[in-house]
Amino acid sequence: MTMPQHLALSARGVRMEFRNRTGNESSGQTLVALEDVDLDVPDGAFVSLLGPSGCGKSTFLKIVNGLIRQTAGEIQLHRVAKGREDAMVFQDAALFPWYSVTDNVAYGLVCAGVPRKEARKRAQPYIELVGLTGFEDRYPYQLSGGMQQRANLARALAVDAAILLMDEPFAALDAQTRELMQAELLRIWNAARKTVLFVTHQIDEAVFLSDRVVVMARRPGRIIADITIELPRPRALEVKRTQRFVEYEDQIWRLIAGDVRNAATENADG
Amino acid sequence: MASRFALPSLTPVARVRGVMGERLFYGLIGLVAVVVVWEATARMGLYKQSLMSLPSSILRVAIEDTTNGSIWPHIWVSAQEFALGFAAALVVGIPLGLAIGIFRRVDYTVNGLLAGLNATPNVALIPLIILMFGLGLEAKAVIVFLSAFFAIVVTTFTGVQATARRHLEITRSFGGSPWLAFRSVVLPSTLPFIISGLRIGAGRALVGVVSAEILSANVGLGHYIALKAQFLDTARAMFGIILFGLFGLFIGEGIRAVERRFEAWRPELH
Amino acid sequence: MTVDTAAFRVIHPRARRRRHPLMRWYRRNERAVLSGLGVVLFFVLWQIGADMGAIDKLFFSSPTAVAVAGWEEVQNPRFWEDVKISGWELLVGSVVAIVVAIPLGLVIGWYRRLNYAADPWLNFANALPRAALVPIVVLTAGLGVEMKIVVVFLGGVFTMMVATVEGVRTVERQLLDVARSFRASQRRIFTSLIIPGTLPFIVSGMRIAIGRVLAGVIIAEFYAQNQGVGVMIYKASNQFLQGGSDRMMFGILLFTLLGIVLYEAVGYAERYFQRWRPSLDLEETT
Repeated sequence: MTMPQHLALSARGVRMEFRNRTGNESSGQTLVALEDVDLDVPDGAFVSLLGPSGCGKSTFLKIVNGLIRQTAGEIQLHRVAKGREDAMVFQDAALFPWYSVTDNVAYGLVCAGVPRKEARKRAQPYIELVGLTGFEDRYPYQLSGGMQQRANLARALAVDAAILLMDEPFAALDAQTRELMQAELLRIWNAARKTVLFVTHQIDEAVFLSDRVVVMARRPGRIIADITIELPRPRALEVKRTQRFVEYEDQIWRLIAGDVRNAATENADG
Repeated sequence: MASRFALPSLTPVARVRGVMGERLFYGLIGLVAVVVVWEATARMGLYKQSLMSLPSSILRVAIEDTTNGSIWPHIWVSAQEFALGFAAALVVGIPLGLAIGIFRRVDYTVNGLLAGLNATPNVALIPLIILMFGLGLEAKAVIVFLSAFFAIVVTTFTGVQATARRHLEITRSFGGSPWLAFRSVVLPSTLPFIISGLRIGAGRALVGVVSAEILSANVGLGHYIALKAQFLDTARAMFGIILFGLFGLFIGEGIRAVERRFEAWRPELH
Repeated sequence: MTVDTAAFRVIHPRARRRRHPLMRWYRRNERAVLSGLGVVLFFVLWQIGADMGAIDKLFFSSPTAVAVAGWEEVQNPRFWEDVKISGWELLVGSVVAIVVAIPLGLVIGWYRRLNYAADPWLNFANALPRAALVPIVVLTAGLGVEMKIVVVFLGGVFTMMVATVEGVRTVERQLLDVARSFRASQRRIFTSLIIPGTLPFIVSGMRIAIGRVLAGVIIAEFYAQNQGVGVMIYKASNQFLQGGSDRMMFGILLFTLLGIVLYEAVGYAERYFQRWRPSLDLEETT
C-alpha cells in the first residue's frame, strides 16, 4: 500500500449509549458515554485519548477491541494480512496467575489459534524486547508491578497486530516506575513500530508519549480538541522539564480543568 | 548455634519454644496435658474406667489388634466405601458444579432441589438407602456420596462464579473461543475452590461413612467402634475413634499434596 | 484523505431488538420461575416414575401417596406426641449448646496460648461423628430424652465453638491496633470490637450447626428407638411391605422442610449481620 497517509483506524459518528435498567420502568435512564466521535489514526502514529473519568475514552477503546458494540456509527480498521488488527494492553489484573510469564505472553497467539508450543517459541523475542529475559518461568506473583505490565505489553506485541490499544496501562504503578515505563514504552515502540491508541488521564504522560493528543470531555463523552505534539523524537524523560512541554500541558489543562473539577465532586458514575 | 534465632531468654524451655513455634509448642502441651490428666484421674478412680478407658490401655489394645490382624478388614472395608462414594461425588459433583456456575439457567433450575437436598439430614435418608441398597458396601458408599456431594458442588460453582471478569475479558479481547476460555481461565481459576470443596467434602464423607456403619453394618470402622462400645470394651472403642481421626489426617495430607502439585502458582501456599 | 475500503474491516453498531413485555417480566423473575419449575419438575417426574413402575413404589412411594399418608398422620395424636418430643430435644439441646459454646469460644479465642492448646482437641471433637459417641453417652444417660438432648448438644456445641473461636481470631489486626493506640481497656476492646466482629461468624456457625443438630436428633432417636419423628421414619421403613414408605417419606420431607425453614431463618440473620463484610468465607457457604 503506497497511498499517502494510510490510516490504521477511521471512526465516524460513533455513539455509545448505556441504558440503565431500573426496576419497574420500561425505559430507564440512558447514559450517553460517547457522542458523535470522529477519529482518524494514521499508520505508525502514537495517539493518546486524554480526559477525566467518565469521558468515554476507555469505552471507545473497548469498542475498537470488540468487547462492546457501539449504538451507532462505524469504525474501520486497516486489515492486516494475517491475524488480528488490534491487541489490547489492560490496566490491571492483566496476567493469569496460573501461567508462567512465557505462557502469559504466548496467550494472545494461542487465542488466535496458534498451537501452544509454537506460540511459546514466537513469544520469546517479545519477552526479550520488553526486558524480561530470565524471568520466563516465573509466575506473576513473583514479579513487580512494572514487570507484570511489561509482560502484559509483550503479550499484545506478540500477536503482531497493526494497532496497539493501551488502556491506562501504567495507572496502577507508583510514580517512579510509571516514568520509567513511559520511557521504556517509547523505546519498544521505536523498535516495534506499531500504531498506538493510548488512553490516559495523565496529561504529562499523553504529551510525552504521543504524536497527537485527542482531548475528550464528559457528559456526554465527546472529543473537544486534537492537539499535535511537535516535540522532536526520540524523546527522553528530560523533555518533560522543557518550556515547550509545559506549554502543551498548560494548554490541555485549561481545556479540561472545569470538567475535572466537576468529576471530582461527583460519584464515580459515568 | 550462632545468633540465627534471636532468642529473648536462655532457658531451655524458651529455646525449644522458639525453635518449634508457639503454636506447635502449646498444642503439644495441650495434648500431653490432657493425656496425663486422663490417665491420672482414671487411675485415681475419679470416674469409672469403663467410661473412657485409659491411654495406656488404648495403646495396649491398639498393638494387640494391629498385630493379630483383626482391625485390618474393618479399615479396608471403610476405606473402600469412602473411596467409592467420594470418587462418585467427584465425578458427579464437579461437572455439575461447573455447569451450574457457567450456565445461569442450570443454576436457577437446580437451585431449589439442591437446597432441599442439603436441608435434609443424611441420617434421615439412611432408612431409605438401606431399603434400596441393603446393608452392604453400596449403601455406605451412597451415604458417603451424599455427604460429600453438596460441599463439592457448592464450592465448585462458587469458584466458577468467582472467576475474574477481567481474565475472561482478556480471552475475548484476543479472540479466543469460549471453550478456550473455559480451559485456560475458568478451570485453573476454579481449582483452588474445588480443592477446598474436596477438603470439606472429605471431612463430611468420613463422618458419613462411620455414622452409617455405626447405625447398621457388620464390618467397618464404625461397626468396630459400636460393637466394642456395646461390649463395654471402651479401650477398643477409643482405639477405633483414634483410627478414624488418623484416617482423616491421612486424607487431609493427600489433599494437601494434590494442592501443592497443581497450585504452585499461588503465593498463599508459599 | 481517501481510504481503500477493501483493505479495511468494518465494525458495525449493534442492532436494536424489540423486547416483548412478557420476555421482560420473565427476565426479571427468571430465578424464581426456574427454581420453582425445577422443584415442580422433580415431583412430577417422581409421580410419573412411580406410576409407570420405573421407581419402585415400595421403597420410594409417590408424591400423592406421601401427601395422603401425611394427611393421615397429621390427624393422629401420636404423631404430635412425636413432634413435641423431637422438637423439645432439638430446642433444649441447641439452646444449651449456644449458651455454652459462645462464652467458652470467646475465652478460648481470646487467650492465645489457650487457643493453641485447645485447638487440636476442638477440631478433633468437631470432626467426630456423634454416631460414634452415642454408645458412650447411652452408657451414662440411658435411653431417655436426656441422652438425646446430650447428643443434640454435642452436635451443636463444637461447631459453634470452632466458629466463635475463628471469629475472635479473625478480628482485623488493624482494628485491634487502632483500639490499642487509643489505650482502650481490654473490656472495651472486647465489647466494642470483638463481639460485633465475631457475631457474623457465630451466626454462620449456627447455620452449619443446623445440619448437625438435626442429624443429632435423628441419630439419637434411631439408637434409642422409643419416641420421636426420627423413630417414626425408622419404624415406617421397617414396615415398607405394608406401605410404610409413605410415612417414611413424609417424615423425611418433614425434616427437609424444617431444615429449609431453619436455614432461611439463620440465613436472614446472617445476611443482616454480614452487611459490612465484602468477602465471603468458603467454609460458611457449605
